Amino acid sequence: MLATYLPVLLILLMTITFATANLVITRLLGPSRAGGSVKSMTYESGMNPVGTARKRFNVRFYLIAVVFLVFDVEIIFLYPWATTFANLEPGSQDSAIWLGRIMFFLATTVVAYLYGWRKGVFKFD
Amino acid sequence: MPDLSHFITAQLIVSAVICIVVVHVILIGVAYSIYLERKVSAYIQDRIGPNRVGFDFGLPALRFLRGMVGLGQPLADGLKFFLKEDYTPAHVDKVLFTLAPALIVIPALMGFIIIPWGGTWNVPEFTIPVLNVHVAGGPVQVAGAVVNVGVLYLLAVASLGVYGVTLGGWASNNKFSFLGGLRSTAQMLAYEIPLGLSLLAVLLVVGSLIPADLVGYQVRNGWLILSQPIAAILFFISILAEANRAPFDNAEAEQELVGGYHTEYSSMRFALFFMGEYAHMITSSAFFALVFLGGYHLPLVPWLSPESTTLLAVLAKCLVYFGKVGLLVCFMMVIRWTLPRMRFDQVMMMAWQAVIPLALIVVIVSSVVVYLNLGPRFNLPWGESIPLLVANAAITVGFLIMYPFLPNYEVNRRVPMYGSRFNPVPGERVSTRPMDATALADRPEAAVAGAR
Repeated sequence: MLATYLPVLLILLMTITFATANLVITRLLGPSRAGGSVKSMTYESGMNPVGTARKRFNVRFYLIAVVFLVFDVEIIFLYPWATTFANLEPGSQDSAIWLGRIMFFLATTVVAYLYGWRKGVFKFD
Repeated sequence: MPDLSHFITAQLIVSAVICIVVVHVILIGVAYSIYLERKVSAYIQDRIGPNRVGFDFGLPALRFLRGMVGLGQPLADGLKFFLKEDYTPAHVDKVLFTLAPALIVIPALMGFIIIPWGGTWNVPEFTIPVLNVHVAGGPVQVAGAVVNVGVLYLLAVASLGVYGVTLGGWASNNKFSFLGGLRSTAQMLAYEIPLGLSLLAVLLVVGSLIPADLVGYQVRNGWLILSQPIAAILFFISILAEANRAPFDNAEAEQELVGGYHTEYSSMRFALFFMGEYAHMITSSAFFALVFLGGYHLPLVPWLSPESTTLLAVLAKCLVYFGKVGLLVCFMMVIRWTLPRMRFDQVMMMAWQAVIPLALIVVIVSSVVVYLNLGPRFNLPWGESIPLLVANAAITVGFLIMYPFLPNYEVNRRVPMYGSRFNPVPGERVSTRPMDATALADRPEAAVAGAR
């Protein structure tokens, strides 16, 4: 069973080799001329950079990340449900229970989603 | 000598060969899709595009290889990238700065191994000469890896690409890179949800995560783009956004952010970002073809069915699959050179307020349709798809009816400006009369008509 994942290991090794080889070969082949303070400066369209880029940024990105987590974890739960639900006998009692449970589960997420919408998480301006 | 015959199966050998071959095909495909992109953009903009570089390498002996409609361009570009200076600016986080390009190209190249390029191949039994291992024949899957969570694996690996973008933006210590990385991360996170949900609407119908089962279902019941068109459109939008393709390429919006997260990169490191994007395009096109376009299947062609397992059929299936992928890649390119880039707030609002709710509705409606199971009542060859198609039509009609009642923010506010003719500040009187003496001499009537 685990042998079916051997090609994944193979491709992982191949891609890592490819990426590393590219990075090493370009370092070896390319010139490395001495750079002054201007060359090593951050490129900001030709102007001298003011301050650092390690700045505080909009909290909206944090909110997006949190809401993404909620939805992504939910989708992870939905995948096993979907594959099993499609294989249940349609219209049977089992099937109805499975459908009802997942509808309740989705309803909780919809409530969270509407709350987020009301709070303006999804509003960009 | 340990007995390897239990370990080495025909499936393992075919998988390894497919892995090695397809990696190279994809890499060449990446190089030539960059060439194709330049040609497509050239034809769309009424130019010629690359047409000079052949394979003569400047040697008189290879004169006959000159020209070749510019087919040598990708090779020349690749060599040029190798020979450029690999410069690390002073302010960057050196480890992450080096790691980021690798982290973007590795997931992009890893995803496609679960794609069932050629269906099933009935391998004859044979013996490996040097090792003297007898390999039993039998049906094998012509795919890089035959794993039973194939679709999930592809989703998981594809979403790893966000690390490269984030780290590239962060490590560069450049405000443009940082903003580009942030935008790109937020966008990729946001569109991963509709990607997963629209796929879920399909998996609900198929009931399996195995790629070969997806193709098998579509051979029996018709392509899923016909029975789940809304999910297909949402999926396509999401893969465009995941690959940072136009009209969602905010990460590298040149007019706003210079180069976005790869502003500070040079030489092959920059090229790895580029290759990552194109490899991602090819992998997502293959994914789309697998899920919605029936994989290697073409209707009305009998030897492209899962039953034909000869080597010739397998090769034909691979060709058909690559053809579909090529067409999808071309379609993505035409989209890029036709549509203008969306603004970042529009992209994000579209994800959270339009695409995700719509995908959720599609999932809920499809699960109800699967529960009702009305397909067998239609005694037709592709009868399974009729209830789903009706459900999709119902969603569309419902959306059109609900459209006036949906919340609609005015995203394109007009800001009043002093001195503007089109949107003046209230109370300000703007004269459109030409003030220039030459202009007045040209059109004397404008002096009267232009007054407001």
